[in-house]
Amino acid sequence: MLEPAPFFALENITKRYGGVHALRNVDFACSRGSIHAVLGENGAGKSTLMKIMAGVVQPDEGSMILEGVPVTFPTPSAANRAGIVCIFQELSLMPELTVADNITLSSPPRRFGFIDGRAQRRRSEELLARVGCEDINPLSRVSDLPLSRRQLVEIAKALGRDPKLLILDEATSALTSTDVDSVYRMLFELKARDLSILYISHRMHEIEALADRCSVFRNGRHIETFAKGVRSNDEIIGLMIGREIEGQFPEKPKRPRPAPLITIRDLCWENHLKGIGLEAGRGEIVGLGGLDGQGQKELLLALFGVLRGVRGTVTIDGQPMLPSSPRAAKGGRARMALVPEDRKSEGLILSMSIADNIAMASLDRLSHGTFIDPGRTRQAVERAIEQLRIKIGSAGDPVATLSGGNQQKVVIAKWLATDPDVILLNDPTRGIDVGTKHEIYRLMRELAEEGACILFYSTDTEELIGCCDRVAVIYDGRVVRELDGDAITERNLIASALNIVERREPVHV
Amino acid sequence: MSRRVNATTALWGLRLDPDDKPVAFAVGFVMLILLIGTGYTLYTQGSAPLLQPQYLLQQLQVGSFLGIVAAGLMLVILLGHIDLSVPWTLTAAAMIATAVGGPWAIPAGIGVGLVVGMVNGLGVAYLRVPSMIFTLGMNAVMRGLMVAHTGGFAPQTAATDLMQYLAVARIGDMIPAALLVWLAVSVAVVAILTRTTLGRSIYAIGNRERAAYLSGIDTNRVILVTFALSGAAAGLAGVLLAGYSTKAYQGMGDAYLLPAIAAVVIGGTNILGGRGRYLGTLVGVILIVLLNSVLSIMQMLEAGRQIIYGCVIISMLLVYGRGARVTG
Repeated sequence: MLEPAPFFALENITKRYGGVHALRNVDFACSRGSIHAVLGENGAGKSTLMKIMAGVVQPDEGSMILEGVPVTFPTPSAANRAGIVCIFQELSLMPELTVADNITLSSPPRRFGFIDGRAQRRRSEELLARVGCEDINPLSRVSDLPLSRRQLVEIAKALGRDPKLLILDEATSALTSTDVDSVYRMLFELKARDLSILYISHRMHEIEALADRCSVFRNGRHIETFAKGVRSNDEIIGLMIGREIEGQFPEKPKRPRPAPLITIRDLCWENHLKGIGLEAGRGEIVGLGGLDGQGQKELLLALFGVLRGVRGTVTIDGQPMLPSSPRAAKGGRARMALVPEDRKSEGLILSMSIADNIAMASLDRLSHGTFIDPGRTRQAVERAIEQLRIKIGSAGDPVATLSGGNQQKVVIAKWLATDPDVILLNDPTRGIDVGTKHEIYRLMRELAEEGACILFYSTDTEELIGCCDRVAVIYDGRVVRELDGDAITERNLIASALNIVERREPVHV
Repeated sequence: MSRRVNATTALWGLRLDPDDKPVAFAVGFVMLILLIGTGYTLYTQGSAPLLQPQYLLQQLQVGSFLGIVAAGLMLVILLGHIDLSVPWTLTAAAMIATAVGGPWAIPAGIGVGLVVGMVNGLGVAYLRVPSMIFTLGMNAVMRGLMVAHTGGFAPQTAATDLMQYLAVARIGDMIPAALLVWLAVSVAVVAILTRTTLGRSIYAIGNRERAAYLSGIDTNRVILVTFALSGAAAGLAGVLLAGYSTKAYQGMGDAYLLPAIAAVVIGGTNILGGRGRYLGTLVGVILIVLLNSVLSIMQMLEAGRQIIYGCVIISMLLVYGRGARVTG
């Protein structure tokens, strides 16, 4: 079969963030009149590739060829002018503007230099009809629409730019099943009109239904591209994993499962948590697996008392305890600690000193009444710096002067100073060098041995396998599978993360 | 590396970090003002009254009222908020203090400030109304209440003897009592900022409220207490000011809000919160008081005074803004 000439080709693209390669020598091509699925684990480089195509980030090396002509896109609007339009994972709508304003945001129809409201509305109605949303009033505000409708507005907005290449980066993640159907119809219609469509999704059945071709990415490399039906689901997962377990993890102790310290039953919050049930005991490291954004983060925040309106029960040693604030969480029956997702904005106060940051969560332990005891504070800080081997110049320097790994150690040190019983870790090794990662793994195991109970969310499956005694895989706000001991394998983790063991019921939002 | 460690441990609190730059700069500017003023008087009168202790102590006495207001306001600004209710909190405190009279006059005045501050704190912390709006509203409310209370006229009641003593007396014919009150407030603020969990929490919230909250700091309570302290400081200033002019009058606090903000900011406190040292605010108050005084000695017209005053504030902030700044 003769391959159609590629519409848009990338050659030898490399992109580095700091020392980390997001993409390494990637060749990629897509052609007109086809739907091309892009697959890969979190951090495989899919999103970076899409951002390069859409002009959001610039490649460090390599070239892009559009219809045989070399191009560069210094800005997203340059890419738009060339007909490349991207719908990103995070919604980019202005919630306080109307649907019509949003759809025509970049180039509103004008008359005598003023925005022509009537033409704008007509155009919006047309575009909304194309995505099957005749029922949305173009004059309603985006913030009044439910999330699934907003995603459709986003798609309508993208269509309004007359794309030749349309990129959907998990653009269907919040859609209901009827909406998904109308999006499918629209995508097939666009394909028939000779558009090129790139589709990123973690839902295998969507890819089966839609894609003509699939490309698998792993660790910033383009592994393989194949036509639909050539590979089975199992083979695809194999391609996505495809690496040896590397690095050293501390030995896991072999012992019976301890009695639960913390028991979570039927925990619900808005539409992110839909009845989580989980138990964890002292001395255990329980992993939270699954794809990004399935509710793991919210689970940790709910346990730490950050979220309002959490329903369900949490018991500690049989006593109910659902803290109403982080302050209650760290001082409750069992002291909790949370190493938050974003250390720069949530874990640390960058402009304050290392010492101040380490003492921040344990000020009440380090003071007499309202006065801070400087001697004890200094001792506690020195002890923490020594224990975690934080490499610093002086404890009085701003914490912003430290490297990422050492910053994360400061966050951990801050919480160890409160002597916690339950430690909640939200992806503590993200963006950290390998050496520090291993130190953190060792520390986690030490803490567990000393009797702490650790809940560990990571986007890195390798870590979950290497560190955890058990892993609860979370999908769409529920624990879909608990893996124990030798059952914690990459294949099992990814299969349950994609929830292809049991076919997914249509989601009702 | 090791050299830095030694330098910082040996001079704990004294090393010249970015926070000290504005203070040093403001001190330099104070000297410059005195120098220019003295040059002027030497040229026109052949004497140097500005350098006499009598003149300087007089200025410090006048500056005490502003200094106390600025001390309280600084706490709120460090939080990343602002207290615009200062003028009428101050006036209300003065009016209530003179109306109550007797031994309870001073506690009543400070109490009024405390209550207004707590209401501000409740609104900002628990109702999450932006402080700029809420305190502006409180200022108007207090003004209305005071107009209702006095009928719009200057109250006839006089300040008590103790209030007058604190505001105008000279201890040993030398040191103004008001200066000592200011000093006491200053010591308290320095202690709060450097030695207490409250102070540490104020800096933390001013830098990044979310991180402070996730560290288990009761951020709402800290905001409430801080606004209450600011209100109490304004109340105390009102009591003293009533003592200084022997009675309370309408609009007596109007001249204190903007100079107090200016003093705090000139002292190097970040207007967005989280950074600043009390020493800077102290020097900032002295700078503003001296600048006003010297400009009036030089018989500068009101228009010129305002222009110079504004230019000084803007230019000093431009100088500070150049320093490398860590933002999260």
